[in-house]
Amino acid sequence: MRRHLAATAILWAALTAVGFWAAVRADVLPSAAAREAVIIDDAFRLLMLLGVPVFTFVLAVLLYSLARFRVRGEPQQDGPPLFGRGAVPWIWLLVTSALAVYVIFNPGLRGLAELRAHPTADLVVRVEGSRWLWKFSYPQHGVTAREVVLPVNRRVRFDVTATDVLHSFWIPAFRVKIDAVPGMVTHVLVTPTATGSFEDNFHLRLQCAELCGLGHHLMRSPVRVVEPAEFDAWVAGLTPP
Amino acid sequence: MPLVKGVVFGIAGFLLGAGATMLAAGALGRAAPPLEAAISIGYLLGLAGWLLGVGGWDYWARGWFGLPLRVSRVHGRQRYFHFTTDHKVIGVQYLVTFVILFLLAGLFAMLMRVELAAPGQTIMTAGRYTHVMSLHGIIMIAVSVATIIGGLGNFAVPLLIGADDMAFPRLNALSYWLVPPVAVLLVATFFTGGFDTGWTAYPPLSVVNATGQVLFNLAVITFGLSSIVGGLNFLATIVRLRAPGMTWGRLPVFVWSIFAASLISLTATQFLAAALLMVLLDRTAGMAFFAAARGGAPLLYQHVFWFYSHPAVYIMILPAFGIALEVLTHFSRKPLYAYRWVVAGFLGIVALSFLVWAHHLYTSGMPDYLHGPFMATTELISIPTGLVFLSALGTIWMGRLWLRTPMLFALGFLFNFLIGGITGIFNADVPTDLHLQDTYFVVSHFHYTLMGGMIFGLLAGVYYWFPKITGRMYDERLGRLHFWWMFVSYNATFLPMFWLGMFGMNRRIADYPVPLGPVNLFVSIAAFLLGSSFLVFVYNMVWSWARGPQAAGNPWQARTLEWQVPSPPPEGNFPAPPQVTGHPYDYGVPGAVHAVVAVGGAAGQDSGQEDER
Repeated sequence: MRRHLAATAILWAALTAVGFWAAVRADVLPSAAAREAVIIDDAFRLLMLLGVPVFTFVLAVLLYSLARFRVRGEPQQDGPPLFGRGAVPWIWLLVTSALAVYVIFNPGLRGLAELRAHPTADLVVRVEGSRWLWKFSYPQHGVTAREVVLPVNRRVRFDVTATDVLHSFWIPAFRVKIDAVPGMVTHVLVTPTATGSFEDNFHLRLQCAELCGLGHHLMRSPVRVVEPAEFDAWVAGLTPP
Repeated sequence: MPLVKGVVFGIAGFLLGAGATMLAAGALGRAAPPLEAAISIGYLLGLAGWLLGVGGWDYWARGWFGLPLRVSRVHGRQRYFHFTTDHKVIGVQYLVTFVILFLLAGLFAMLMRVELAAPGQTIMTAGRYTHVMSLHGIIMIAVSVATIIGGLGNFAVPLLIGADDMAFPRLNALSYWLVPPVAVLLVATFFTGGFDTGWTAYPPLSVVNATGQVLFNLAVITFGLSSIVGGLNFLATIVRLRAPGMTWGRLPVFVWSIFAASLISLTATQFLAAALLMVLLDRTAGMAFFAAARGGAPLLYQHVFWFYSHPAVYIMILPAFGIALEVLTHFSRKPLYAYRWVVAGFLGIVALSFLVWAHHLYTSGMPDYLHGPFMATTELISIPTGLVFLSALGTIWMGRLWLRTPMLFALGFLFNFLIGGITGIFNADVPTDLHLQDTYFVVSHFHYTLMGGMIFGLLAGVYYWFPKITGRMYDERLGRLHFWWMFVSYNATFLPMFWLGMFGMNRRIADYPVPLGPVNLFVSIAAFLLGSSFLVFVYNMVWSWARGPQAAGNPWQARTLEWQVPSPPPEGNFPAPPQVTGHPYDYGVPGAVHAVVAVGGAAGQDSGQEDER
């Protein structure tokens, strides 16, 4: 028994090392273009690091059991009667509970607090979803637009609504999402941190993420993040509605 | 022929109800004919006609009027097409019906993967794609809810507890015969404009789209009724009909899992019916539950809907846990590890399942202060679920692992559900879910729990009980081929979907940005391999059922009660109620006896031809 446990522990350690290496190397999230994206990606990576040893623990026990406890043909005798009535289930309960409670606080509640830390916005953009296109207006400037242009490193609040059915406001490069609901105005706050445009980064798009019927997959608009001066020039060139 | 009678009565009822509604509307001076109201009311009468015609009148309702019942004794294959009350026949009816539905919805998935193999339109318009996707979703949901409970649960639970049948045999038949109208309605959506809301049917879209939506709502409400009745029946059976000595502490783990799932079926399904009924009333009666402009609230639906539909995922997965643990203990030749802990885990899952629904609504626009509490309850549900893994790993540890097909599927279940569970944490965590919600990450996550989990568990159970159900043995080499083919192609299909979701592919779309093309092509090819693995399964099942070698009464040398009677078990199951004297899983305990079964149940005896009279 002790020998089996030791061998499984070594296998677990080895698999975990490989798992950590793979999790760090294969960091496949798209590049983060907003302050919120960094918070969310950090939460993602932390959960990966916590998930790897859990995954490899089960995998190690499974693989070791398959290799060592497998019987060829019909078993002629029974295994040792282990009932699990001792301390092992209590330890299991304690460890899994501690893990579950830990992830509630970190990255859960901590990430939420960071996302909500700066509720005041420099710029407000109104977004209205209708089947199957998005309309934008910049109430501080009194203009409407057919694309989303944002100044870099400025806090932006999107006020989102819909006219017909549910839609959902999602910009993959910013990682944030909020539904557009008829009769309601929902909000999402982001601070873009890198300039760029849909043409060279397809994650800079406003994508409808809530099934809205026939044209759902086409309901997307390009997003462009520019220097503040360029933004001022762009917004000045728009005509009031 | 009761089937013909059912169809005729059903059509007559439909025409009567629909016609009367149209006439009444005409008399009231309505300008436009109220088509959807006519369909709904016609369907109600049609459903009643179908149920009476197919057997409800002869076997049941005649008694209400003082008439003698007309119970016809049918034998052999004929039984499967009749309103019978034998739980084993009903189990097979459920199993075969839902495996066929599973294969049909699997074909829909293949069509979707053809469309998604390359960017741009391939074989379907976006509208057709959305309809096919929605049908795939709802049929697979029904398969997940009903196949294990209705099929294997019906067959095995009375046997496992030493009962001669379910507590309410006619109610049992009713819950099965409610299913064919559901299938007919869903297929009929092809002729009424389809429905394009996915299986979740969120309003306002579900209030304003084509008439197919009405058929969808009626179908799902009917299916819910079947589920409620089934849950009630299992609870009554397990509480009341256990054999002498079958204490709660000796109940086989599969029975516990059905008990836990039935608690949810009985108490939560009404919420789904209520949500869909409100949509129906918005459409047909001009009410405005979800019309914001007239004081309604679109978000209300999502709360009511998920109040059922999240607990429902545990209706789907708990019985699969039960099968996996059952198979693991018999094929490891060891007692089920931490039995009491895993039962507590099941009941803990039931309790917590009612407190997590709003984790589907993080991005819905619900108040922010709800995020923290629902994230907490959702993360906590990993604790009772973890106990299932404790039990599974403790059971195989130091065992004598016999790697027959059921065991392979049970081990595959563990691996897949582990991935499904860990990725669930990413969806439960609000910050990461803001990005992942409504993407292929979610698609992959729930396929890992439902297909990788529930379907693998189902297949473990199908191979495990195949000799008991049919009296014949399946082909072991084909069974193993099916497992390895399916296990590898399954993971090749769904692992890359996590990446697709993280990398910006949202779900329920007929087309996607061009840079996602190559990975989608890979996923499609893997999906075709996955789909083709079921050819092996179907061939093995059909051929073995017809021509396979006779199976012994207890080919697995298992200790539970169903293996102590002949294969297939005779009507009435046991010649006399078994006397249960010990725990079902005491492998390796010298002198341990689970139960004393009267003559006629000796292991190794065989009467495979008995039901072919």
